Amino acid sequence: MSRGVAAAGVHVPRFRLATAESADAWDDDHAGGVERKAVPAADEDSVTMAIAAASDAIDRADVDHDALRFVGLATTTPPLAESKLAPRVVRALALPADARTATETASPTAGLDVLDRALAADGPALAVAADAPEGDPADADHRMGAAAVAFLVTDDAPVEHANTASHADEYPGIRYRKRGSTEVNALGVTSYERGAVRESVSRVVEGLDADPEEIGGAALHQPNTGLPYRVCGDLPQAAVASGTVVDRVGDAGAATVPFGLVRALQVADGGETTLAVDFGGGGAALGLAFAGSLDAAPNVDAALDSGVEVSYERYLRERGYVVDGAVAGGGAHVSLPSWRRSLDGRYRLVAGRCPECGGLTFPAEGACGMCYDCVDFARVELPREGVVEAATVIGQGGAPPEFISQQDRDGPYAVAVVRFTLDGADVTLPMQVTDCDPDHVEVGDAVRATVRRVYTDEGIPRYGAKVTPTE
Amino acid sequence: MSDVYIVGAGQSPFGSFPGESYRSLFETAYDRALESVDRDLNSDQIDEAYLGTLGVGGRQIGLSAPAVTEHVGLHGIPTTRVENACAASGYALRNAVAAVESGMADLVLAGGYEVMTDASSDHTKWWLGVSGETEWERLSGTTFAGVYAQMASAYLDAYDATVDDLSRVAVKNHANGAHNPNAHLGFECSLEDASNAQTVADPLTLYHCCPTTDGASAVLVASEDVASDLSETPVHVAGSGAASGAVGLFQRDSLTSIPATRTAAERAYEMADIGPNDVDFAEVHDCFAIAELLAYEDLGFCERGEAPELLREGVTNPDGDLPINTSGGLKSKGHPIGATGAGQIVEAFEQLRGDAHVQVEGAERGVTHNVGGSGGGVAVHVLERGFRGESA
Repeated sequence: MSRGVAAAGVHVPRFRLATAESADAWDDDHAGGVERKAVPAADEDSVTMAIAAASDAIDRADVDHDALRFVGLATTTPPLAESKLAPRVVRALALPADARTATETASPTAGLDVLDRALAADGPALAVAADAPEGDPADADHRMGAAAVAFLVTDDAPVEHANTASHADEYPGIRYRKRGSTEVNALGVTSYERGAVRESVSRVVEGLDADPEEIGGAALHQPNTGLPYRVCGDLPQAAVASGTVVDRVGDAGAATVPFGLVRALQVADGGETTLAVDFGGGGAALGLAFAGSLDAAPNVDAALDSGVEVSYERYLRERGYVVDGAVAGGGAHVSLPSWRRSLDGRYRLVAGRCPECGGLTFPAEGACGMCYDCVDFARVELPREGVVEAATVIGQGGAPPEFISQQDRDGPYAVAVVRFTLDGADVTLPMQVTDCDPDHVEVGDAVRATVRRVYTDEGIPRYGAKVTPTE
Repeated sequence: MSDVYIVGAGQSPFGSFPGESYRSLFETAYDRALESVDRDLNSDQIDEAYLGTLGVGGRQIGLSAPAVTEHVGLHGIPTTRVENACAASGYALRNAVAAVESGMADLVLAGGYEVMTDASSDHTKWWLGVSGETEWERLSGTTFAGVYAQMASAYLDAYDATVDDLSRVAVKNHANGAHNPNAHLGFECSLEDASNAQTVADPLTLYHCCPTTDGASAVLVASEDVASDLSETPVHVAGSGAASGAVGLFQRDSLTSIPATRTAAERAYEMADIGPNDVDFAEVHDCFAIAELLAYEDLGFCERGEAPELLREGVTNPDGDLPINTSGGLKSKGHPIGATGAGQIVEAFEQLRGDAHVQVEGAERGVTHNVGGSGGGVAVHVLERGFRGESA
C-alpha cells in the first residue's frame, strides 16, 4: 500500500503586484527577489482561498466527498484569531461531519503539518494550506503574497509518501507575529537566522534519509528567493529551483512550500524523490519526502504566470491597508442562527424542488415559488454555472453600508440576477459578480459560482457564493 | 356596499427640512387637509387614523402613529401605523376605505410621514436598503437603485428602449414638478441633463432616481352621509385594489414587470367597473425612471415594451391623452417613503376638483399607483370626481 498524494488543487488570487511597483512607491526594494506576487482581492481571505483550492483538488481526484476521513486547514492568517476554520471548509464543500479536522495556524510549517496529519490518517484525507501574510508596508510586506494549495491524500496514490522528519530547537526572533498584530516580523539578525534555518533544514533532510542522487525536486523554506539555495546544503540547485515559487507568488506563509511541492511533483519525471521542508519561526522544521510525479493537479506555472497586474495604490486598497472598515450605523443584520440556516444555499446553491409542480425555489424554504403550495422540498444542488439575466454596477456611494468597506477596497462591483437551470427547471438568484471588470458584465453572460466573503457582521466574517464570468 | 369618499387632502411641502420633525410635518399636512374640506369640519368627528411610515432613521419605531395623532390633538382615537415600505400610505388609505365601508367608522384620517434627510450618509444607505429582500438580495450588495437598475438592464435588453427613454420620464416629471410649490426638486431638466448625469447604478443616472425626502400627507376618508355634510364635490373612491408579490426581484417570474401592480390594478379596475382606457390621468410610482415605464405597462395603459413609445409621443404629457405624474411624481415632487402614497391621493384629489397646479382639462377619473419596495406590495386606487354617478 502506497499512501500519498492523489491529487492537488491550487488557488492563486487574480491580482498581482510587480515588485517594481512597490520599489517605486517606497524608493526601496525589500522584496527579497520576489518579482511578482499574488494579491488577495478584498473579498478573499484564507477561508475562501482554502475552499477554492480544496474544491479544485477534490474535483481532480477520483474520490467521493463523503469518503474523506480527515480535513486539515493551515494558515498563519486566520480571519479570526481563535476559531476553527476547518469546519467552514467542511460545511462549504459538504464534507463528512464525522471527519477528523485540524486547524493549524502558528507558523509557515502549518502547511506541511496538516499534510503530514493527512498522510498519517486513515482513509482519504484533505490537507489545505491557504495564506496571505502581511508585513510592515515599508519593509517585509514587499514580499508578502498569497496562495492556497490543497492535497487529496489516499492509499494507492501516484505520489507515494516516503518519509517524514522533524527537528525542533529553540530559535526565537526569526519569524514571529506579536499577539494582536497583523504584521509578520523578524529581528533581522541575518547570520543567526540563516544559520538556524540551515541547521534545521539540514537536520530534517538527514532525517528524511533520501539518497541525494535521487532527489529531483525540493521545496524548501522560502521567505525570499535566495534562502532556499543558501540552506540546501548538498541538494542539487536544479532540485531546489523546481520547488521554488516564491519569486512568482510571494511569501504565501503556510502555503508557499506546499505550493512549491506541487510544482516540483508536477515537473518530476516519476523516478525521483521530491522533498518539502519548511521552517517555523519558533525553531521547528518539518520535512516530507515523496516518490513519484503528480498529474492530477492544475498547471502550476500557468496559474503563477496568469493574473491581472495592479498598481501599488490598488494593492494598498485591495489589502485594506488604507481602508477604515468601520461603518456608521452598522450594516444589514442577519442573526448568526438565521445565517447558519442558510449555509447550504450560500455555499452550494441548494434550492428546493417542489414535489408537486417540479419547480425550483431559492432559498429552499417557504411555499413553492412556482405553484405557491406549501410543500416539503426535495433539496437539490444547483449547477455552479448560470446566466446573467439582469445586471448593474454599484458605484461609489451606492453600496449598502455593509459593502462600503469592500467597495473602498475593490471599487465598484456588479450585481446580477443569475439564472440557474437544473433538469429543465430554472430559478434566479441575486448574486454579486467578483473577479471581473464590473462594467463588462452584460445580460446573457455565462458565470460560475465561487465562495467569497460576503460581509462581516458582529465581528464574524460571513461567506457565500458570488459569481465570476467564465468567458 | 356603501360608497366611500375623500373629502379633504393635503400635504406638507416635500423637501429637506432640518428644522422640522415627523410630527410637525404631519401637522402641516393635516391642517392643509382640514382646510381643503369644503365645509367646516370639527376634528372630533374623526373616528380613526391609519398612518403610513417606514420609520427611516429609527426615530420612533414603536407607536409612531399615535405619537403623531396625539401631537395634532386627535386625542384618544384608535390609530394604526401601516408599514408596507414605500406603499405604506397607499395601504393606509385602503385601510381607511375599508374602515368606512365596513361601517365601523364614518370619517377616517389616512396619511403618512417620513423624515429621511437628517441622517448621515452611511445611515441613510442602511435605511434605503431595509425594504429589499434582506438575506439574499441586499447581501448581494444592492440597494433599491441597484434592484431597479437590474430591472432596467433587463428591460433595455428585452425591448426597443434606450437610456434616453428613461430620461424622458425625468424630463416630463421635472417639467410638471416645476409648477408644484410642494415639490422637492421643482426645477426643469433637459434630456441631455438626464442622460449625461452621473451614473448611480448603470443604466440609471442621478436623474433617473428620485430623491430622499422629508414630508407628510393626509387624506380624510368619509362615508356618503358624512361626505354629503362636509363636501360640495368629494372624490369618490371607486376602486381600491392591492396585491403582494415576492419581496426580492429574483423571486419573481418577470424582471421587466411588477406582477403585484398588474393584480392590484385588475382588482381596482374591477371594483370601479372600468378599464385602463377609461382613465383620464394617473399618478404612478416613479421611484426610478424604469418604474414609470413598467407602470404604464402593468397598469394596462399599453402593451409590454410599448411604454417608451408613449413617452416619445407625448401621450403622458399634461396635454397628452393620458397625463401621468402631473405633480412631478416621486422624481420631482419627492419620495418621503411613508407619505408618498397619500401624497399621490392629494394630487388626484386636486386634479378631480380642478385645483391642480398642472391641471388636466376635464379630469373626471384618475388612478394612483403606489409600490412598496421593488414590488412586494402595491396599492392602486381609482378615484372619480363628485358623488357616484355625477362624473361623466
